[in-house]
Amino acid sequence: MPTITFTQPDGSEQVLQVADGTTLMRAAVSNGVDGIVGECGGQAMCATCHVYVRPEYARSLPEITEDEDEMLDCTTAARTDASRLGCQVAVGPTLGAIVVDVPADQV
Amino acid sequence: MSSSTAKCPYSGTQAAGTAAAVPVPQPLRSPGGVSEAPVAHWLDVEGLAADPYAAYARLRAESPVAWVPKLNKFLVTSYGGCHGIEQDQETFSANVSGSTMNRAIGAQPMLRKDDPEHAIDRAPINPVLRPKSIKEAWAPVFARNAETYLDALEDKGPGHADLNTDYAAPLASKNLIDLLGLLDADVDQVRRWSHDFIAGMGNVLDDPGIWARCDASTADADALLAELIPFYRKNPDASLVSALANSGLPVEDVAANTKLAISGGLNEPQHMVTNMVWALSRHPAQREAVLADPALWAAAFDETVRWQSPIGMYPRQATRDTVLEGVAIPAGAGIGVVVASANRDQSWFGPGAEDFDIHRPKRPHLAFGAGVHLCAGHWAAKSAIGQIAVPKAYERFGSLRVDEQRAESWGGWVFRGLSSLPVTWN
Ligand code: HEM
Ligand code: FES
Repeated sequence: MPTITFTQPDGSEQVLQVADGTTLMRAAVSNGVDGIVGECGGQAMCATCHVYVRPEYARSLPEITEDEDEMLDCTTAARTDASRLGCQVAVGPTLGAIVVDVPADQV
Repeated sequence: MSSSTAKCPYSGTQAAGTAAAVPVPQPLRSPGGVSEAPVAHWLDVEGLAADPYAAYARLRAESPVAWVPKLNKFLVTSYGGCHGIEQDQETFSANVSGSTMNRAIGAQPMLRKDDPEHAIDRAPINPVLRPKSIKEAWAPVFARNAETYLDALEDKGPGHADLNTDYAAPLASKNLIDLLGLLDADVDQVRRWSHDFIAGMGNVLDDPGIWARCDASTADADALLAELIPFYRKNPDASLVSALANSGLPVEDVAANTKLAISGGLNEPQHMVTNMVWALSRHPAQREAVLADPALWAAAFDETVRWQSPIGMYPRQATRDTVLEGVAIPAGAGIGVVVASANRDQSWFGPGAEDFDIHRPKRPHLAFGAGVHLCAGHWAAKSAIGQIAVPKAYERFGSLRVDEQRAESWGGWVFRGLSSLPVTWN
């Protein structure tokens, strides 16, 4: 099963094993990871599932769609080149493991 | 590092970073003892419309998941309970049986469907209602409309002006007509439709007069849509009806979802205009702060919608036997998700949860719902009301305030707001 590691601003880590096809947002919300809200349930309508993806995983990520790009302009913590919406990135065969940093602010 | 948050129409408006990450509310199902639901016999349902907040506080303290015989429903009043419901649409369905909403608008709108059916209706309207489209296509329209109705308010003068009747109501209607693309519809007509649909949705006692008015408005709106749908198929634009007309959805779904937006997109923005001015009038120091620093308008909007939530309660139905916050809920049970109460839950917002405080640490609230039914119009409302209608009113009348000489009037709990708010200025 793919693994997702969420790193909090204080350095603490949570490693989750989840089924193929699970998005970072859904994994975080169902497992009580602090700092990921996922207000719109994954429709790229709220930007409260913002994460920073560690650079070594960047090449395995899906392209940023126009909708995601637009919503990334509305994150509360500053957008960087590492920013993604957690609801638009799913783990699976092409992304077996990923490490992300959770921003300090989400709303 | 390309920090580009500045492009968002609503950025620069958040209170400066609060240190801690947002904690997640307690898990939904308590592993321990399951108990029968407490029954809130004491709850005076008729009395809620005058002011529900004391009753909500007692429910949260004594029985945050309570059976209310008079409503034939469970009422869920804690933040954790309401949030948990929104995270699990398989157990808590929006497709409630005997839905007066479906009867009122003649078909099943997205708000009464669960995914995946819900997503098919919802996907086409999201692009219209994301921040970029709101900012580029609609904010200039919202600004022009605000100026028009500020002129009307000014004509009434500081001794007679009513912020609801003279500004909030016609402005909310005109903004909605434009955003939806209801060409040629007039402000009073759409207000009447909205009112009649909402009355139908609340017509649990089957009053034939209410159904007659609702059916007449449905027929009027359907007649307009019968012209608009082919028109927008030939002449697409940035409006919501255009997006629905070109989505490939059957006409009946286009019409149902348009009527849903007419029902849900008018009263709440209208109430937010008056609620914000009412709240700021009662908190002069916060009013001074926001007038001195316009970046605080976003916080003022957000705090008002939390503190005086225009939608107080919405329905769900259990699809299976379940346990919510330790209380057994049987399959088929009706549930009222009382977000207006959740939004004042001290265990989530801290000891000052009952206070209006635009400087409070930011926390997610439930005034727009949460999960897949999260209000489709939430960016539109933040822009039209929080960034435009209310700031412009204070630009025009720097000393705008509630007129203590004349009576205001609040009402409702499922939907709550001011039906009259006399205002004055120097
Ligand atoms: C401050 C103003 C507003 C408030 C407080 C508000 C509140 C809400 C709430 C609480 C829900 C969820 C109801 C539920 O889950 O049962 C909702 C849904 C919805 N709202 Fe709003 N609303 C506002 C403005 C608007 C506007 C301006 C529009 C116009 C486009 C709109 C359109 C909708 C639609 C279409 C839904 C259904 C979404 C779905 O089922 O996926 N709302 N609103
Ligand atoms: S959950 Fe709303 S944008 Fe990802």
